[in-house]
Amino acid sequence: MLDLTPVLVNWRFLTRALGTTLLLSLLAMLVGLVVGTLVGILRTYGPRGLDRVLALYVDTFRAVPLLVILVWTFFAFPLVIGYALDPLQAGVVGLGLHSGAYIAEVIRGGLTSVRRGQMRAALALGMTRGQAILTIILPQAAIRMLPPLGSQLVLVIKDSALAAVIAVPELMRQSQIVAGQTFRPFEIYTTAMIVYFLVLYPIARGIDRIYQRLAPLGAS
Amino acid sequence: MTYDWSVVWENRGLLLEGAWTTIVLTVLTMAVAVVGGLVLAFLRMSPFRVVRAGATAFVEFFRATPLILQIYWVFYILPATFDIQFSAFTTGLVGLSLNVSAFNSETFRAGITSIRRGQWHAALALGMTRAQVMRQVILPQAVWRVLPALASTWVSLFKDTSLVSTIAVADLAYNALQVRARTYRILEVLTAMAVLYWLMGYPQAKLVDWIHRRFEVVE
Repeated sequence: MLDLTPVLVNWRFLTRALGTTLLLSLLAMLVGLVVGTLVGILRTYGPRGLDRVLALYVDTFRAVPLLVILVWTFFAFPLVIGYALDPLQAGVVGLGLHSGAYIAEVIRGGLTSVRRGQMRAALALGMTRGQAILTIILPQAAIRMLPPLGSQLVLVIKDSALAAVIAVPELMRQSQIVAGQTFRPFEIYTTAMIVYFLVLYPIARGIDRIYQRLAPLGAS
Repeated sequence: MTYDWSVVWENRGLLLEGAWTTIVLTVLTMAVAVVGGLVLAFLRMSPFRVVRAGATAFVEFFRATPLILQIYWVFYILPATFDIQFSAFTTGLVGLSLNVSAFNSETFRAGITSIRRGQWHAALALGMTRAQVMRQVILPQAVWRVLPALASTWVSLFKDTSLVSTIAVADLAYNALQVRARTYRILEVLTAMAVLYWLMGYPQAKLVDWIHRRFEVVE
């Protein structure tokens, strides 16, 4: 029989866990945006040699499972640097670098989608390359990048559940704990599933909505 | 600290066995999920509203929840529903297949609806039945259009199979974590695991890029 008491009794614990899920996702997204934007811009406009190196970073993080990245960051990386990371730090670093690789591709795709003539025109007007990128190319590209970046946010929140394997006290992990204590895995995991859905579905739909509004602005 | 890489070589059998399980699981899941995705895509185009709504709900639900949770969920719901204990491998296969089917159905739907409506009209005007139009006109064109998206899903799936290690399927991740627990050579074993995944995943990622360049539709 379905028995929701364990969920009700532990609602505070699980709500805090949801907070950790959102915190982890936001921090990881932030790291991803900073790393991704830098890598994306450097790969598009930087020297060729640097592009090769950064391509290796991007393709490596596209090729290795996030679970492996998280486990490696939490257990092996501290042995290299001689400094222990707590689970949340490791989660933010692993998840952030992972999404950074994907965001870099989004940024690069957006930048290269702006026609080359615009760069030439800006340079001909006497702008520096930096000015042209910042004031001409990026604003146009940004609008086109918004939808895929929104999808990235959804992905990061979904992927944050994987941080459970390195014991970040987020929703998945805390659900495992409650499920283990109450012997009610079915009710607990179903509840967690619904909570994730209620968080993720509106974001995904909202992004579609925004995209339909913004799509005409991105035309050039 | 000193590193002892011999531990990786000594356990190569276990690691390679795990890698093989990872590959088998990827192939089987994709085989199931291509069929599942097609079925879902057709259900979503059904003339009956209830069928459409059901299929849509399924797809949206599996797309908007974490895969690891879905696998756990299947792990607990399968035995309760069917009253038999499934092997960890079967459970993992079911969980991954449900998830990838949902994603594939969106790919197929996009592929089918990307063929201009005029082709439907033309084929119907020529006296073909709806089924004939679908089989002979729409699908052959749609196949090439869905290939890039399907290839991307393939690489994601290959990586996502590592999640079944959490329900004790003996894939590469699981076996590597076992070796780590037994030998305490944490850095060596975890790095070997990452490198093995990289060796398999990197060429696939590159192949996907090529498929995207080769088959991307420019209209």
